[in-house]
Amino acid sequence: MEGAELAGKVLSTWLALVLGLILLPSAFGVSLGISEIYMRILVKTLEWATIRIEKGVPKESGLKNSASVGIIQRDESPMEKGLSGLRGRDFELSDVFYFSKKGLEAIVEDEVTQRFSSEELVSWNLLTRTNINFHYISLRLTMVWVLGVLVRYCVLLPLRFTLAFIGISLLVIGTTLVGQLPDSSLKNWLSELVHLTCCRICVRALSGTIHYHNKQYRPQKGGICVANHTSPIDVLILTTDGCYAMVGQVHGGLMGIIQRAMVKACPHVWFERSEMKDRHLVTKRLKEHIADKKKLPILIFPEGTCINNTSVMMFKKGSFEIGGTIHPVAIKYNPQFGDAFWNSSKYNMVSYLLRMMTSWAIVCDVWYMPPMTREEGEDAVQFANRVKSAIAVQGGLTELPWDGGLKRAKVKDTFKEEQQKNYSKMIVGNGSL
Amino acid sequence: MGAAHSASEEVRELVGKTGFSSDQIEQLHRRFKQLSGDQPTIRKENFNNVPDLELNPIRSKIIRAFFDNRNLRKGSSGLADEINFEDFLTIMSYFRPIDTTMDEEQVQLCRKEKLRFLFHMYDSDSDGRITLEEYRNVVEELLSGNPHIEKESARSIADGAMMEAASVCVGQMEPDQVYEGITFDDFLKIWQGIDIETKMHVRFLNMETIALCH
Repeated sequence: MEGAELAGKVLSTWLALVLGLILLPSAFGVSLGISEIYMRILVKTLEWATIRIEKGVPKESGLKNSASVGIIQRDESPMEKGLSGLRGRDFELSDVFYFSKKGLEAIVEDEVTQRFSSEELVSWNLLTRTNINFHYISLRLTMVWVLGVLVRYCVLLPLRFTLAFIGISLLVIGTTLVGQLPDSSLKNWLSELVHLTCCRICVRALSGTIHYHNKQYRPQKGGICVANHTSPIDVLILTTDGCYAMVGQVHGGLMGIIQRAMVKACPHVWFERSEMKDRHLVTKRLKEHIADKKKLPILIFPEGTCINNTSVMMFKKGSFEIGGTIHPVAIKYNPQFGDAFWNSSKYNMVSYLLRMMTSWAIVCDVWYMPPMTREEGEDAVQFANRVKSAIAVQGGLTELPWDGGLKRAKVKDTFKEEQQKNYSKMIVGNGSL
Repeated sequence: MGAAHSASEEVRELVGKTGFSSDQIEQLHRRFKQLSGDQPTIRKENFNNVPDLELNPIRSKIIRAFFDNRNLRKGSSGLADEINFEDFLTIMSYFRPIDTTMDEEQVQLCRKEKLRFLFHMYDSDSDGRITLEEYRNVVEELLSGNPHIEKESARSIADGAMMEAASVCVGQMEPDQVYEGITFDDFLKIWQGIDIETKMHVRFLNMETIALCH
């Protein structure tokens, strides 16, 4: 009896604290500053840890250079320059030199595959999962690490789990209730309130610290918002600061319940799996959506898959054919506090969420950028590349022309033939053939 | 390359044999594991996972070079089925830049090794000569991607190049003299005095300790 009473009291105080300190402020969009204090303590601890590691490591073994710099320095000169020099006439034995060198560079380090695994850190952030290069340094550091594990798994995880649970339930219940109302501006206002509150709760569930830059360029109604994709959390991060209409496939299970509830309160665009294959149907529905200026801006991730946040891959042209104003947004995570990249071949959704909830925090920067429209004489692909460059420059990411679909598929033949055509043009063009 | 002590002995051995530094070897080992899917050996199929390589017109020759017994120093002909990490490093070492601190004799030796690697790429039947057929084969592969170039053009390019090589190696030929093929010595003669160093090396970065900063 006593045990149950005690447990009951603990639970109720716990819930009261959660309600007072987190839920209510989220509803009003106010921050009590608790997460700022947490972040400051965290940063100080990590700095201390880094200094200890630096002191503790002997000179010869040293710390490994981050793999993002690479093993080799690639020869970036274009094919013409690479082949010239030794070239006396049309075709030289030396051309094979150039291609074998390029081939070897590709084998040693290819730009594409490394984008589908998590970014490596320069210094350890006291999480076991990033500890590939670092060895035992000192007792104090290990103690801090153990303390970190305890804090993360025993204090933060239950708290975050509770918050996530409350957030999702509120979302489903709230949107279902709002969905009962007839269409009116009250309904829109209420649905915005519900969406924003629940997203803020979910973001706090991950200890997210988000900095929004250039809020004046926030996507307007009737536009399309385009962003680089790193994880499903991107959606949460963007919806915390504004309401969007989401586009995607209808899922089953928990996701399906959430989707069905959300669409009652405000018009998201969910497609059946079979409809996704029909590009014209998709384009038509999206065009209809943006034609209605009162509807919320659509949120699209043109890369089509999750990339590890060090680069931006090819933007699929489909989203850029719809027309309308494109509002680009760049999202950059700070990997020091937690790696947000979802490697879907390695982790399923549940283990991914678990990893997120046991990281220190999710820290990211969001830059809103001035709207762009397709210019005269520009086709969808060129427009897509222009937007991609803008996002890459703003977010400090490298730009790659490769298709994110390479995660699972092979290179298209058309791509392969490009390079060979260039080379053969060089030889035959110069010669008298 | 798991736990501490036996691994560092292996690494030291490899440093001696191939000339890479121990940091570079560890990085390359990680790449090896990535390519092989954590297996101890690599087969030809594993190279299909490198998207950048798909663009290369002579990719099949490059992949073949990795398994060529002559490059692996395991024989005078034939192909191995699979290679282990040491073999991988042996092939990589052909592309190491020529060290400026080496003496003249060693520099010549390195050059010869690199040219020999290239010779093997052309000489697919391992008979020690690059015949007209083999040369044509390489030119065709290089031009294979362009559907507008017919086989005839590729052949004439190869024939022209072969004649020029013959004139360098053998001098003026009698009208009924048949040029059998470029031997390795002829190959060396063609490249004499020409600096191939920058064409045939990959710049491996030196992993140095860097100061950590937030």
